[in-house]
Amino acid sequence: MNKVLITGSEAAALGAKLANIEVLGYYPITPAFPAMERLSKYIEDGELNCKFIRVESDHSALAAVLGASLAGARSYTVTNSQGLLLMTEVAYHAAGLRQPIVMGVANRALSAPHSRFPEHGDAISQAASGWIQLFCENNQDIMDNTIQAFRIAEELRTPVMVNYEGYIQSHTLEEVFVPDQEKVTAFLPLNRQPALDINNPRGVNTVTGPEFYTDYKYKQNEAVLQALTLIPSVAAEYNKEFGGKSCGLLESYRMEDAEHAIVAMGSIVSTSRLLVDELRKQGKKIGLVKVKAWRPFPAKEIFELLHNVRYVTVLDKNIVFGVGGALASDIKAALYGKGNMVINGVIIGLGGGKCGVSEIKETVDHTESSDSDKNRSEWFGL
Amino acid sequence: MIDFKNLPKEELFGQGNVGCKGCGAAIAGRQAMKVLGERTIITIPASCMATLGGNNTKTTWRVPFYHTLFECAPAISSGIRAALDIQGIKDVNVVSWGGDAGSADIGFQSLTGAAERQEHMIHVLYDNEMYMNTGGQQGSQTPQYACTSNCGCGKGIHKKNMLAIMEAHGIDYVASANIAYPEDLMAKFKKAASKKGFSYIHILAPCHRGWGIKPEETIEVARKAVESGLWELYEVDEGKRTRTYEPSFIPVSDYLKAQSRFKTMSEAQMAELQKSVDLYYGRGE
Repeated sequence: MNKVLITGSEAAALGAKLANIEVLGYYPITPAFPAMERLSKYIEDGELNCKFIRVESDHSALAAVLGASLAGARSYTVTNSQGLLLMTEVAYHAAGLRQPIVMGVANRALSAPHSRFPEHGDAISQAASGWIQLFCENNQDIMDNTIQAFRIAEELRTPVMVNYEGYIQSHTLEEVFVPDQEKVTAFLPLNRQPALDINNPRGVNTVTGPEFYTDYKYKQNEAVLQALTLIPSVAAEYNKEFGGKSCGLLESYRMEDAEHAIVAMGSIVSTSRLLVDELRKQGKKIGLVKVKAWRPFPAKEIFELLHNVRYVTVLDKNIVFGVGGALASDIKAALYGKGNMVINGVIIGLGGGKCGVSEIKETVDHTESSDSDKNRSEWFGL
Repeated sequence: MIDFKNLPKEELFGQGNVGCKGCGAAIAGRQAMKVLGERTIITIPASCMATLGGNNTKTTWRVPFYHTLFECAPAISSGIRAALDIQGIKDVNVVSWGGDAGSADIGFQSLTGAAERQEHMIHVLYDNEMYMNTGGQQGSQTPQYACTSNCGCGKGIHKKNMLAIMEAHGIDYVASANIAYPEDLMAKFKKAASKKGFSYIHILAPCHRGWGIKPEETIEVARKAVESGLWELYEVDEGKRTRTYEPSFIPVSDYLKAQSRFKTMSEAQMAELQKSVDLYYGRGE
């Protein structure tokens, strides 16, 4: 592996290139567009044998990628925020058709009001779409997860979203270890299963009656659930093959004797690490749980890490209106009836809102204060 | 030219389809598939045509068929072509086949996108001039004066000219067709299939339920649309425009009065329409 200094967008593009994608469909959106520009340059320079379809909308981008996947090609796209919302219809459809598409999402806030800044609202809007969702803490994660995503998607015939935050990750340079092309090619053997096969005609997405529909959905859900086993095993194999440090569904950091756990996903995980180190120095028994796989939700694994703690601070860079943060809701459901810890769900960093070490420290302090209401999400930074 | 005697006996579409009897869309599909042949991958957005060709584990299609979402059949077909190209799979007709809504209205964005990119594919608009899969509502392809389930007094504005719009894309091939003229229709599909870029074929295919005619009158009324001069059969082959059939110019009222959807149209309005047809064909005073 060689080490390079690249942005998150470049890590996504390079990951897709190493995965030998064959069809790229894309419609420009900020901040995802540099990944597409990098990929189209690889194609122009003859470094990647891939068809780029310059579609006229995000809806058509995912549709074109879906058509390519149905006809047997390994396909990829990137988008974020409004683009992802426009794609939503196709996203649900592609998952139902069990197509192994991989999509990078440079997470950005949703309109209105208009915002160009990072948060997880776009990814959270796809909670029930049937896509496996992985979250990246840093640019190395973007590279590693993009490559692993193709393996997971193709084994389960289920699409995978690789989330990395706009600007904080998409436009920030970090050192990334790059796996060797030959090894990645061997790690991702091409196993074409075209639903639209000129030599074996079949009808795809025929009108389905009540006698079949539930069974389709059951099988789709089973495939997503299988990712709970597959994601860690693919990560382990990846680490073995490439000397990587990819976690499975979750990563626990200094959780051994922790009384207080921070749970987060995305770039705020890195920030939380700094806080944990700082507080540990002061003798505080605090740890961190990084959520890499949000869909399927690793409820059992979360419980195993959290069942002995007294306090949980969940950091959500999203808001499900009328409910609270999506991650906090999932964690409360996972821990229901299994302990008496205080779970403080915090809405933080929306639309690029400040969420540095000192802000996270305030939320941690608040969780342990008597003001904390464990049944509601708290808004930070109003 | 099309030689009927030498057409394949095999039906690639149609047998066992669940369309209404006298369905114009199904007739169009059968005729087109006689020429397109088995090396065809077809995508059909939400429409009667999408639902009548496949239910549960059964399908009438003997070629790969995919019932797509409403807005995106041409985008899906673009992806299919890219996948075939990257795999080196040649000699396949990639076809998207939309109704008037899936082509001219909700599906227009992906259609204009694929046409502008000069994708190597054929898009078919099978036109029954209203949204029949949802019971017959008005759309951009509904002609002026036609009554629909959501407008009982007739459409106040004229039909959007999709053929002119598609011609303006500068694509390889544009043609109008009509199910009452199978020879002409099939010749156009043959030509479209030989192109390396984008082709657009717009087929007038009556729906007896929406048009207020008897099922057995589908072909007869379709023919009257051409013979009256209201539906011109022509093609624009790499920029060269040719009328492919000379109509006999029966009165437009013969066509209009054969259908109950024009029941609110006055004699004066029919005379006005006759005048504009005469003017178009240079037959006026």
